[in-house]
Amino acid sequence: MHGISWQSVDHTLDACIKCNICTTYCPVAAVTDLFPGPKYAGPQAQRFRENGQPISPDHAVDYCSGCRVCNEVCPTGVRIAEMNARARAQIAATEGIPLRNRLLGRNELLGMAGSFAPRLANFGLHNPVSRLLAEKVMGIAREAPLPRWSVDGTFGDWMRSTRRARLKSNKKVVYYHGCATMYYEPFVGQAAVAVLEHNGYEVIVPPQNCCGLPMLSNGEFPAAEAYHRRNTARLSSYARAGIPIVGTSTSCTLTLKEEAPELLDLHDDAVHTLRMGVWDLFEWLQEQHDQGELRTDFRPIELTVPYHAPCQQRAHRVGKPALALLNLIPGIDVRESHAACCGIAGTYGYKTEKYRIAMDVGAELFDFVHAQGPHIAFSACDSETCRWQMEHGTGIPSRHPVEFLAAAYGLYDLERRSLVSPP
Amino acid sequence: MKRPTKRIDAEILVIGGGSTGTGVAWDAALRGFKVVLVEKRDLTHGTTGRYHGLLHSGGRYVVKDPQSAAECIHENRILRRTHAHCIEETGGFFVVTPEDEGDYPDRFKAACVELGLPCSEISPATALRREPLLNPRISRVFEVNDGAADSFLATHVTAQAAQLAGAQILTYHEVVDLLTDSVDGERRVTGAILRHMTAGDDIAVYADLVINAAGAWAGHIARMAGIDVRVIPGKGTMIAMNHRLVNTVVNRCKMPSDGDIIVPAHTVAVIGTTDEKVTDPEHLRIEPWEVQLMLQEGEKMVPGINRARVLRAWAGVRPLYQEGFSGDTRNATRALALLDHQSRDGVTGLLTITGGKWTTFRLMAEQTVDAACRQLGVQRPCTTSQTEVPGVEQGHYWLGHRLHEVEEHRLQGDLICECELVTRAMLEHAAAHNPTVTLDDLRRDVRLGMGPCQGGFCTYRAVGILHENAAAQEQNPRQDDHRLWNIAAMQSPAHPMTANRKTAAQTPAFEPNLLLRDFLQERWKGVTPILWGSQLKQERLDQLIYLSLMNANHLPDNDLSSPLTEFYRFTSVQDGEDPDAA
Amino acid sequence: MLDLLVIGAGLAGLSAALTAAEAGLNVRVIAKGLGALHWSAGTIDVLGYLPPSDAPAEQPLEQITELGQAHPYALCGAENVRAALAWFQSLIAEEGLSYIAAAGEANAWLPSPAGARRPAYLVPAAQFAGALDRPDPMLIVGLLGMRDFYPALIAENLGKQGVSARAQFISVSEITDRRDANTIHLAQAFEQPHRRRRFAEALARLVRPGERIGLPAILGLDDHAAVLSELQSVAGAPVFEIPTLPPSVPGARLYRALRSRLRRYGVRIEAGMEAINFAAGGRLIRWVETETSARPLRHHAAAYLLATGGILGGGFSSDAAGRLWEVVFDLPLSAPPDRNQWFRSEFLDPRGQPIFQAGVEVDSGYRPVDATGQPVYDNLWAAGGLLAHADPLRERSLEGLSIAAGRGAALALTRSAARQPAHT
Repeated sequence: MHGISWQSVDHTLDACIKCNICTTYCPVAAVTDLFPGPKYAGPQAQRFRENGQPISPDHAVDYCSGCRVCNEVCPTGVRIAEMNARARAQIAATEGIPLRNRLLGRNELLGMAGSFAPRLANFGLHNPVSRLLAEKVMGIAREAPLPRWSVDGTFGDWMRSTRRARLKSNKKVVYYHGCATMYYEPFVGQAAVAVLEHNGYEVIVPPQNCCGLPMLSNGEFPAAEAYHRRNTARLSSYARAGIPIVGTSTSCTLTLKEEAPELLDLHDDAVHTLRMGVWDLFEWLQEQHDQGELRTDFRPIELTVPYHAPCQQRAHRVGKPALALLNLIPGIDVRESHAACCGIAGTYGYKTEKYRIAMDVGAELFDFVHAQGPHIAFSACDSETCRWQMEHGTGIPSRHPVEFLAAAYGLYDLERRSLVSPP
Repeated sequence: MKRPTKRIDAEILVIGGGSTGTGVAWDAALRGFKVVLVEKRDLTHGTTGRYHGLLHSGGRYVVKDPQSAAECIHENRILRRTHAHCIEETGGFFVVTPEDEGDYPDRFKAACVELGLPCSEISPATALRREPLLNPRISRVFEVNDGAADSFLATHVTAQAAQLAGAQILTYHEVVDLLTDSVDGERRVTGAILRHMTAGDDIAVYADLVINAAGAWAGHIARMAGIDVRVIPGKGTMIAMNHRLVNTVVNRCKMPSDGDIIVPAHTVAVIGTTDEKVTDPEHLRIEPWEVQLMLQEGEKMVPGINRARVLRAWAGVRPLYQEGFSGDTRNATRALALLDHQSRDGVTGLLTITGGKWTTFRLMAEQTVDAACRQLGVQRPCTTSQTEVPGVEQGHYWLGHRLHEVEEHRLQGDLICECELVTRAMLEHAAAHNPTVTLDDLRRDVRLGMGPCQGGFCTYRAVGILHENAAAQEQNPRQDDHRLWNIAAMQSPAHPMTANRKTAAQTPAFEPNLLLRDFLQERWKGVTPILWGSQLKQERLDQLIYLSLMNANHLPDNDLSSPLTEFYRFTSVQDGEDPDAA
Repeated sequence: MLDLLVIGAGLAGLSAALTAAEAGLNVRVIAKGLGALHWSAGTIDVLGYLPPSDAPAEQPLEQITELGQAHPYALCGAENVRAALAWFQSLIAEEGLSYIAAAGEANAWLPSPAGARRPAYLVPAAQFAGALDRPDPMLIVGLLGMRDFYPALIAENLGKQGVSARAQFISVSEITDRRDANTIHLAQAFEQPHRRRRFAEALARLVRPGERIGLPAILGLDDHAAVLSELQSVAGAPVFEIPTLPPSVPGARLYRALRSRLRRYGVRIEAGMEAINFAAGGRLIRWVETETSARPLRHHAAAYLLATGGILGGGFSSDAAGRLWEVVFDLPLSAPPDRNQWFRSEFLDPRGQPIFQAGVEVDSGYRPVDATGQPVYDNLWAAGGLLAHADPLRERSLEGLSIAAGRGAALALTRSAARQPAHT
């Protein structure tokens, strides 16, 4: 339901002065006619969409990738990306959601399913026949960078099996791992735990579920709301107790902070408490550093590292703390990408009809990475899907900034992506 | 006075191109009369184009003015069929706010039953589910079949239907005098002298009967035959909110008064209206207290509305007639008034039809043409209640239809007015068939400039396009055939696709710089009363475009003016002390 | 800890940030979004028309004194305005964008998108060949299918003013297969060599000897110089750009060039950071908070510079009651006291609308002052379109004022002893 209260983001359409700055900077409108631009699809079309009205299919809005560059540059505060997301949900509610989008929305279930037999799952998914089938039948682009299940167990498995070795302390943080860390990249979580413990924090990993972002992006709002309410029930008490909830997946933390409450019009106390207690990991580490509390006993890392701040990290609107903190590592030469978007935009670039668009959008970033020199070992990026897209587009491995930090503390092997000392 | 250079003979001459006049022309043409309709400006320039767009269920008058209510109930049903595509089925609520308790709601309910007005009481919770922004403290809600009407489209298609039945429609022709003579001591009206507003040619129209449907100007016309018809202009001010906050017509359940209705009309929500007696139906000033009142009253139905973006303010005049009336115009009847001047004033050949409301235009026309038949001594039955105008196959208006059509036909790149989704083809089509003395004429046809930017982007584009086509037209003149223009679909992005796009504006002399300046001024006129917040910022951007970028106040032809230039310059801004000396 | 936090990323804010960065200060620019540069003609307008007579200003640098002592230009004085413009011209040339001044410090007169004569002081090189005092006749070429440019209208209006001009079209499909491309997308299309070549050849077929060619301002974004040069050499005629409806490609080029230069100094422009709160201790501002996805973000700086652009830039808000207020620091504003005095009857009134002269009053050091003339805060400066007693759109002075005031305010603050660290 749109505009159901004055707090609903739909009413920010009134701020639009039709100035076209958003369309100027939209990375998708720059490469395709299929997306008529954020001004058109957002505040302009919104005046033609209302509750209880027959829905215009307006499929053009489906080509919005949700990168939120439009919000960033809008001088009047129109919440364009959110408006588009809600419009998609309105269409989904009327026309239904294609099976493919439901599948892509169920990150957690897919992750869990594959984690029982990861090698089999990897083999089953990552072969040319399966990929072709997935493209023809499901509409999942055969070349798109789907992740591999971790063959060394999930992040949860690791936490359980190493629980005796985990630091106990009066200083505590909650770690929100997200589906990718849990099922595909537990080593990112391990690096995060290593960094946090190195700084004297006990890391609590309470029961948690998918943030619901893939469902929000695909317009499946009722299911996303169920997820968010469950997370709120599970996590808000930590926030209330003043224990920061930090996450390495910058998309997940953005969802918990802002996207879920705003898209779903959830404004009650518990939801609000949770919002105010969630931090992007580097946002939190920067805060510690500002207070003189971050350990800076870094070993040199003599690498040139192109860094890309994902759209959803920028949407936190806290600057680029990962950039600042990586620059503390001696010997490192961090090169900041100014490209708008890698193109993948969550589940967007996996869809057959959008794959080409995503690769065209990402071209500027891929070129930038290559332009940093012939001997780039790794690029750095806070979002998992962006890393996979960057690897796909450049052929160069990508790492989460926390992996560099952990390596600089001497706790982590960047190449092998594993902790160096026994846990 | 110049001697007329042209002569037209007709059976019925209709004066006034609003809903009433075009309705009369349509009805009379269907009955086989040879009809000429004249309008001094563009169709709907008067009251018809300046109201809030309500298709009355009748609920508003059910207690206070049952006769009006009965007419509305009857006509509401008919118009939904005959003018289907001009109507949006919004439904309507009569809501009881904390200020509206007392016995009125029960009287309302009883009166609905008595008059046969479909009305069902629903729970406030149900109403709030449908309209989440409604005042949560509403205690009772009655649902009725109000609708939203597009009077621009309705008048145009009615005019087209009249033309298809043989009528001639002449816009931008002003009646400068009525022709009268005396036969056996009995005075009669024999026709009128028309003056074209831009070309200045005079035409003499001779008719067996003249029907004065000039609305608020009816008195002015009647005076030309020496007849006193006192039409009380009741000014009504309305404001439009930038986007639809409700999708149902919301009325306060109380005696009708100022600011007690919100109508979702196309992409905006209109809060209306005031009722102030004025003397001049032309030069209307919108007072700050009127705007404040609309917002304040709107707040009672939709709390928070006074912080939303206001898009525009305008005023129309109700032509209110009541023999011997001298009180508050709010209490003047809204019922229609048909004056047979033969019996009333001893003058044959003239009928005046005034009063009424848009919802009853067809009925007014029927009664008028019935009276015309009586005067002319013929018996021809009315068929309008069973006759659909062109375009009804499109079905009722729905909010998303333009978005849908632009999407379906991939017309995004063709949009000229992006705010209201007007394509280049729609604009060209309208310009080719509707004499374009100002861009406001096109605005009424296709909604050019009616969105948030109030012409900021589309004024320039429209002028540029019309200019291009005028040059092409000079090389390749085309004959106008009204049958080719699918007026019924003039608001539809999908339809003009099949039309020839290289059509030019039907203007006597094409002056692009004048068109530009006139329309910028016309848009400004309607925003100054409500200019603050986001809309003020918008206007500043529009100033950047037209002053800094275009330098529009230093274009050639700065001395030219159109028949509307002075009208547009009359704004609600109070002249007087100038705070800025520098 | 920052030396300077600039609030606003328009021309005034960016000029101030560059000036401060050049002086070695640690600067950050925050802005709610991007601004008026993207809407403008891309020229640096210093003064076009003198109020209240609306007489054209032929010698803007001399004539700014006629604007009176209350006008913000009086804070700089003509010498400093001249110096600021020279500074701008030189730095922007280093960033690959050449801006030219007409001879004798006169205004150049160029075609507007409607075909009026439009005054400008510093003109992008790409627009300069459009100067209306040149004798060579013009061929104005538009793109069929582009809705933001009308060559026939421009040519006709220029013709009425004694300029020889004719109009022609090239199909937009010569340059792009897209059916829905705005000016920025078209400019990017020109950066594809083979399409550009096709277009240039089409131009060559249209032009007559002795003509100069006017095109909409879409000739490349980052590769602008190369695009312009190739078109000229293939067409064999001078080529000039005419500004279009927003989005402004010349404006975007200017923004990108300034952003690029700022990056070289290590100055970040953080768009999407809206200032929502601040704290002061005594007469010093301690911090400004910006809105984020959750908790506000705090920015501590020794000095603060407000360049939020007034009504146009969103730095002022207003309401139905006729209140006008400055949104970040709630600084006192000089404004008509009554909403009834905000406007005049005519939209194009050459005297302008009184409300747009409203703004922040500052002292000679660009610090906002209260009713007694005292600085409201010791470490706050203000510059640009938000200054009181000027209507830059009416008098066509927005860019000149922004650069001069932005630079002037930054110079004043770098010299000021009041730049205390916020927490000592």
